[in-house]
Amino acid sequence: MILRRLGAPVRVALSASKSSLSISQCALDFLRVANASTPSPVHTQVRHATHATAGIANGTKNGAGRRLGAKKGSEEYVVPGCIIFRQRGTKWHPGENCDIGRDHTIYATQPGYVKFYRDPLKHKKRKYIGVTFERHWTLPTPPNAPRRRRLGMLAVKMGEDTPEKSVPQQLVDEDAARIAREGKEEGVNIGGGLQSGISADPAIGMTNIRDRARDPFWPWEGPQKPAQDTGGLKMSRNYQYRVSNAEIGRAAQKKGIKVQPFDRSDRWLAWRKTTERLARKAELRAMGKGKKKKKPAVKATA
Amino acid sequence: MASARQATRPILQSLHRPEKAIYRLPVRALSTTPPKPAEVESNESTTLSPEQPLPPPSSRNQPARTLRQAIVGSKRRRVALATLGKASIPFEQLPYQCFQEARKVLIADREEKVNLIQRTREKIQRLEATDVAEKGSSVEEKKKLEFNKVIQLSSLRKYLEELKVLADVNDPGVKKRFEDGLGDLNKPIYRYLADRKWRLYRRKLVLQRITQMSVIPDVLPEIDLVADVTMKFGRRKVHPGDWVPSVTSEEPLQINAQVFDHGERLVTIAVVDPDVPDLAKDSFTSRVHAIYANIPISPTDGDVALGKLEKKKEIMSWLPPFAQKGSPYHRISVFVLQNPDNKPISVETAKKQFSKREGFSLRNFVAKFRLHPVGATMFRCAWDEGTKEVMERNGIEGADVQYKVKRIPKLPYKKPKGERFR
Repeated sequence: MILRRLGAPVRVALSASKSSLSISQCALDFLRVANASTPSPVHTQVRHATHATAGIANGTKNGAGRRLGAKKGSEEYVVPGCIIFRQRGTKWHPGENCDIGRDHTIYATQPGYVKFYRDPLKHKKRKYIGVTFERHWTLPTPPNAPRRRRLGMLAVKMGEDTPEKSVPQQLVDEDAARIAREGKEEGVNIGGGLQSGISADPAIGMTNIRDRARDPFWPWEGPQKPAQDTGGLKMSRNYQYRVSNAEIGRAAQKKGIKVQPFDRSDRWLAWRKTTERLARKAELRAMGKGKKKKKPAVKATA
Repeated sequence: MASARQATRPILQSLHRPEKAIYRLPVRALSTTPPKPAEVESNESTTLSPEQPLPPPSSRNQPARTLRQAIVGSKRRRVALATLGKASIPFEQLPYQCFQEARKVLIADREEKVNLIQRTREKIQRLEATDVAEKGSSVEEKKKLEFNKVIQLSSLRKYLEELKVLADVNDPGVKKRFEDGLGDLNKPIYRYLADRKWRLYRRKLVLQRITQMSVIPDVLPEIDLVADVTMKFGRRKVHPGDWVPSVTSEEPLQINAQVFDHGERLVTIAVVDPDVPDLAKDSFTSRVHAIYANIPISPTDGDVALGKLEKKKEIMSWLPPFAQKGSPYHRISVFVLQNPDNKPISVETAKKQFSKREGFSLRNFVAKFRLHPVGATMFRCAWDEGTKEVMERNGIEGADVQYKVKRIPKLPYKKPKGERFR
């Protein structure tokens, strides 16, 4: 049906084109003029952006550092809430007695000592940060061992706020220490509040009192219990245990070793000491000690 | 349309009143299947287990306990029972050709399995009768042969047990009876089905509760659950990990320990609380709330009421669980421990060596008597309004003690290094 309908105009057009070609050309020109959408002969080109002009691309390239990383070292003393590690993503995972914050910050949930460890039974690749109650404990704990838990509570008679009789002595001691410390802070007792065997030496009380008065942490003695456990060690300002330099310096004094005062004019003693030293050196050389080993000389072959 | 309605009337009627319609339904014999073949399950006990030992003496006289108590039928099952009642058509008479043809295949398969069972039994008997050591020339060789015989026998017995299950596992009658709660747990197939059902969900749940709440490393190092332990206080069911009010748990616990392997065995039951505050150590210790030893249980009878057991089985009587005010919640763990070699343990020795409730270690107890943990569950308790009265009634001290969180002194502010922080 469509073909039949189209047939007549086509036939007419064909006959017209047969009769005169020029007429049809005129008609085409007319059409070209009438049609408004004919492309103009002027050549236009659009260049698209290959480089972003705004946004992050052209902003500052070198921002300030975010102060990430470890805030507490291995075996350092922490209390609940202490931030141990700041990170982007989980470079470290929270282990025993630790938790992870919204921005993946690892923090302690129990007072104790920081441990960095791996636990292949839990996860093959992960690194963990944990806190142990005692400094000498190690992590990870074996999977089938009972958990080591801390009560962290006081028994109180109902309706009262005072602790029960059964409260261990240590807790009472801690309270006493705190009270003593607060007393010191008021300036009542400057050299007397020092704890443990090392600091009991009267000499230490005499030295550097002025410096200590300037030191804002000086009256703080760190946690009580570990200090008692560690014998000669003392917790320093950065919560690490070490023997203080002053203590090392006092070793001879403690042992009762007496040193003769140096007399510049005693040339006889000086000569004796020099001879002894030289003799000792000669002996060592004879034994083959205290000498650099000679490399066998490489002879150039002719 | 009228003719269609007339045609469908009997069907519609049968839908409305199924109990009447059943007898009107004509059974069309479309298949070559015989009208009623011998029931598959009924002859199981006679053909399958002439060798099976008799049920334990406790259950020999009374009718075997069925699964009805343990397993409530499915929704489909309950609907079917409610509508059809006892008038349902047996499988053998169902007018479905395909179904009947399928049954024939299953019956043939069962025949095959029964034959295999017979042959395996004979093989076992023959092997047991032969003295393999005769063949060996040297002592070492004889030992080796003996060892091989033991291995072979054990694997054959295992295979026999597998075959017993395989013979019936596809039987629609068995499946129906199991779902109805009519399965006899003296038969291996129903024990197998019950075990499978337990492992599908309930075992997983118990395992999750005892591991997530750390009962497992805290009380015992590990456990492979093989018995389904359920708890009750009076009429109140206690699910694993439930919070139980102290008034409810004042009366002794009732336990059902459902085992899924054949035979009677002796078990010891211990109830332990690993969350008792220990102020001296600033930690926790454990307390035993009950130990009862040498309790016989079997697949058909696992009910144990701790309050009703004989005095000679009691190592520690029931002490109501309690949690002092302010203390973290207490996990009360219940363990079913199988006795070694099915022999009773000495209650007197246990009483002497484990005389204290506080500081009780289940690890030590298990190691001492070589017990094997087979089942476990737990519930929780905390201080509630009834605890004080319960403690007073039972002569437990410490109801007036409250626990308060100890304040931990903060670390002092540490001055940062550098000039600009001065």
